Amino acid sequence: MERVLIVGAGAGGTMLANALDPRRFEVTVIGASADHLFQPGLLYVAFRGASARRLARPERQLLRRSVRFVQEAVTRIDLNRHSLTTAAQQQFDYDTVVIATGVVTDRAQIPGLAAWGERIGDYHSTVAEAQKLWRALAAFRGGTIALGQSTPLIKCPPSPIEGILLTDALLRRRGRRAQSKLVFLTPYPRAYPAEAMNAILEPVLRARGIEIRTVFDVDQVDAASGAIRSLEGDTLACDLPILIPPFAGAAITYEPAGVVDNDRLLKTDKTTLRVQGVEHAFALGDATNLPTSKAGVGAHLEAKVIARQLNGEAAAFSGRTHCPVDLADGRGTFVIGSYAAAVVPCRPTRMRHWMKMAMARIYWISLRGWLEPMFDWYFARTAPEKLAGGATARP
Amino acid sequence: MANEADAQKTLVDARGSSCPGPITDLAMAYRRAKKGDVIELWGTDPGMPPDVKAWAEKTHNEVVSIETQADKIVAVVRILNR
Ligand SMILES: Cc1cc2nc3c(=O)[nH]c(=O)nc-3n(C[C@H](O)[C@H](O)[C@H](O)COP(=O)(O)OP(=O)(O)OC[C@H]3O[C@@H](n4cnc5c(N)ncnc54)[C@H](O)[C@@H]3O)c2cc1C
Repeated sequence: MERVLIVGAGAGGTMLANALDPRRFEVTVIGASADHLFQPGLLYVAFRGASARRLARPERQLLRRSVRFVQEAVTRIDLNRHSLTTAAQQQFDYDTVVIATGVVTDRAQIPGLAAWGERIGDYHSTVAEAQKLWRALAAFRGGTIALGQSTPLIKCPPSPIEGILLTDALLRRRGRRAQSKLVFLTPYPRAYPAEAMNAILEPVLRARGIEIRTVFDVDQVDAASGAIRSLEGDTLACDLPILIPPFAGAAITYEPAGVVDNDRLLKTDKTTLRVQGVEHAFALGDATNLPTSKAGVGAHLEAKVIARQLNGEAAAFSGRTHCPVDLADGRGTFVIGSYAAAVVPCRPTRMRHWMKMAMARIYWISLRGWLEPMFDWYFARTAPEKLAGGATARP
Repeated sequence: MANEADAQKTLVDARGSSCPGPITDLAMAYRRAKKGDVIELWGTDPGMPPDVKAWAEKTHNEVVSIETQADKIVAVVRILNR
């Protein structure tokens, strides 16, 4: 039987493992953590004080019984020799490897950010960091909050806008909005990078009295005052700098070393998802350098493309994105695009917000692959090529 | 001081990227660049030319050229402000 080794037990790695036919493949998943975290839930832990109880489940329970799960951190992958090594010095050989190790936040890249992260946490790292941010927001009595991404590379591109809108809603509920100034920072020339969705989202920010600072690339944060300095030489005074930290790929040494870029992301073919320059190796999800949003939806669709190729079928990844945006007023929308189709306008509705919330419930069974017929139908119905033809996105 | 001989030319391929889009790759390259460096950005997103111009104006860098070719858009940016 063909030995498939999947490194990383997150959204993409788990879906792929469950999608492979156990009669044809001997599947092993190596994951650094015993628990699997539903990352989108961090938003509500940080900005609503939501319970984290249902956000994590033991990875073993999420995988088919036939899949072998090894809880270990991988430290070295030799793509020439088809073998990898873990932190405990275990060695594994494979016929095909799939790298699905995601990304990790790296505060050290921005001077002053580590000190602020220590104090106020963030909503892109762990449950504990998100809870720390909730405590900092709960203790906030008034002043200036600046929120934004510290570098252009983040996961879930709508999450900064969701963060500032949820902060606004929180301060209003607490009766602190009048004493607070909210500033949204972005390295892009507009609030949301894709113009079609910016036209919908920017007016929402303005209507809520949020100041927008565009083309602001964070250089450093003053560890004492919280003032943020940009690469362009501007300084923004603020009391609470809520910055999404920079990201980097997993700390794994590769042979050959050239398969990863400066951010330790795997150089991956856009459509076949093969790691460039080597054989029998694929990469998927956040761990790749694919020119598309780092989101669970991509990891999901990429897992399907790899599964089909391993089955000997032809399959290509379309670059499809479908990222939900919570407008913090009961409405939601999606950012929908692909390699070939520019992002299409998608009107915020209550139904779309409900769909985002429903995902938190169906996530665990969707990892098993049981909802694939529904997802296939839904993604086909909301294909950007279709929506761009003048039809408005439904439902 | 920027030394012309140290100046580097970097090619950034953002073809296919529509969200978050080619400015992501340009801004990432900008973070690593030094004064005098040249970044050549390839993209296919139709929003790229106005975005590159707006970005360069606000970051005080120079757009050397933007050209729409059959299969891609090529922008050349010189870094003046790092
Ligand atoms: C606040 C927030 C909101 C989000 N909202 C959405 C949303 O609404 N919709 C959406 O689609 N996406 C959303 N995302 C993004 C989504 O969670 C990720 O894109 C998705 O989890 C990526 O899946 P992945 O499998 O590539 O990586 P991950 O799910 O991050 O999994 C990587 C796995 O690899 C393991 N690993 C790492 N290094 C090693 C190693 N050396 N050895 C072994 N194992 C290792 C990790 O432990 C982890 O289990 C959001 C993210 C955040 C932070």
